[in-house]
Amino acid sequence: MKYLLLLFIVIVVTLSCEKDKVDHIPTPYILDIPSHFPVMQIPEDNPMTVEGVALGRRLFYEKQLSGDNTISCAACHSPSNAFSDPNQYSEGIDGILGTRNSMALINVGWNDFFFWDGRAKTLEEQILIPVEDPIEMHDNWASVMSTISTDLTYKNMFFEAFQTTDIDSTHAAKAIAQFIRTMISGSSKYDVMYKAENNLLLTVSEQNIYSTVTPQETAGYDLFKSLNGADCFHCHNGPLVQVQKFSNNGLDAIFTDNGRGAITENLNDMGKFKVPTLRNIEYSGPYMHDGRFETLDEVIEHYSSGVQISSTIDPLIEFASQGGVQLDAFEKDLVKKFLLTLTDETFINNPDFQEPK
Amino acid sequence: MSAFVQLVLFFFGVLSLTSCKPDKPEINIPFSDTLSISVQPVFGGEPLFLDSSYQTPEGYDIQFTDIKFYFQDVRNGEYLFKEAALFDYRLRGTSFIETAGDKEFYENIQANLGVSSLVNHNDPVGFDPNSWLYISNSNDMHWDWNPGYIFVKIEAKVDTIQDGNPLFNHNVIFHVGKDENIKTVSFIGINWISIGSGDVFPLKLDLLHFLDTGSSSIDVKTEFTSHTLAGQDGLSAKVMDNFKEALTPF
Repeated sequence: MKYLLLLFIVIVVTLSCEKDKVDHIPTPYILDIPSHFPVMQIPEDNPMTVEGVALGRRLFYEKQLSGDNTISCAACHSPSNAFSDPNQYSEGIDGILGTRNSMALINVGWNDFFFWDGRAKTLEEQILIPVEDPIEMHDNWASVMSTISTDLTYKNMFFEAFQTTDIDSTHAAKAIAQFIRTMISGSSKYDVMYKAENNLLLTVSEQNIYSTVTPQETAGYDLFKSLNGADCFHCHNGPLVQVQKFSNNGLDAIFTDNGRGAITENLNDMGKFKVPTLRNIEYSGPYMHDGRFETLDEVIEHYSSGVQISSTIDPLIEFASQGGVQLDAFEKDLVKKFLLTLTDETFINNPDFQEPK
Repeated sequence: MSAFVQLVLFFFGVLSLTSCKPDKPEINIPFSDTLSISVQPVFGGEPLFLDSSYQTPEGYDIQFTDIKFYFQDVRNGEYLFKEAALFDYRLRGTSFIETAGDKEFYENIQANLGVSSLVNHNDPVGFDPNSWLYISNSNDMHWDWNPGYIFVKIEAKVDTIQDGNPLFNHNVIFHVGKDENIKTVSFIGINWISIGSGDVFPLKLDLLHFLDTGSSSIDVKTEFTSHTLAGQDGLSAKVMDNFKEALTPF
């Protein structure tokens, strides 16, 4: 009986000394979506959390994601360049240049497909690719996660974000995707012009901004939307200033890069690329999938007089047969003035998007 | 109290009771079935494929590259079938509308071919995110400069020079919207076809008939662009009329 009692006490003491199970419930992250924007579709298996976004931000700037620890995502998606690369082609760790210009990361949470050729269907899928691409970060996820998982700060951050210590590349991709989804640009002068045009309520501060819209900017916007003007709006429409489609915008008569066609192997997709947003275009140069145009003037000139006919040219480029929309110098200047209204300084300088200290 | 006063009081009592009766609500049918409407584009007697060549009545080779249109307020009298639906042949093939319902309530269906002026100019962000009128779903079918929806969009490339060299360099663009161009379509005595656990009402869209209904033809060599701008009223109206005629039960 005495032994039984002793055994009982030992069991009770042992159980009572068992370490409490550590738990953490992540805090939901509420996206600050402008009132004139659509709802962002968040994947059910990757809900936005404060902890996930913080981890994603750190990983975005993490150079250990590359084979020689020299470049991070931000190397080719620089904050001061609207999260794009100011170089025509991005350079990987082995000094190899890519063949396309890095896309600006702006309002990516609303995109239906990713990369210039749309080869990734989800943002999480897209994020996984550059780390292992031999001409980009040239590493492998197993090695990256092995390194990162030894870092106590990361271990804690992953646990707080995903409640697991068994982390892998999918967790990293999810966290980076969460961070990128927070990168919303909707506070430019254009936004106020858009809201006013669509009879949406302007706040007092927006009314003040609206009062600064110049006649030249308004005239440029009219040209931007005009079928007989610059005719830009077919592809650069709505609050996102882009439609979700692939288009051949008449850059080449003979393709050196088949774009979407290389993915689908459909002849009708040859030379087509994802239509990008024009937001913050002042900062996101060089332009086009191959970064061939350094300045906005060159871009406007292309649509004005440099359009090349090919079998898959977008039929919405209605003046292709005469080389473009034939704007005069004054009109080109007006269009450029309008394009500059798409600059959103609060986005470019948002401290929440910069490298964490 | 006199009998007359009592009668008057009774009358007002009845009147006030009936006047307070709430409006008749939209009838929500307890569904037992999945009902869908499909649209198969054809060119004359053959199925139409995008980017494939067909011959117009004038003898030009034509390749359709995009076919989209809106139905809105799809219903049979008081029975709502779907608030709005967007047909997009390239993106979703022949699928058009799917809803839960009972086919007995939908022997007839009426719809706007286009979007009613009651909602056409609403903020496209204001719709339910599941609605085809919501801005993310309408994509390039919403004009933010009008503002409003494109009702019917047909794009094609045509080889107008019949020299044996298939140079499809003549673009056809019909983007028709605006309140005055809305049409109503009616389908009477629908024969729902049971497929699996659901029922389908198949429609066909004959693009050859669209180009020439017998009484109205569109020569794509000379009538190739409408963005529903001033000066394009005639062609815009013709596109809508012909499109309506081209859309019939299979």
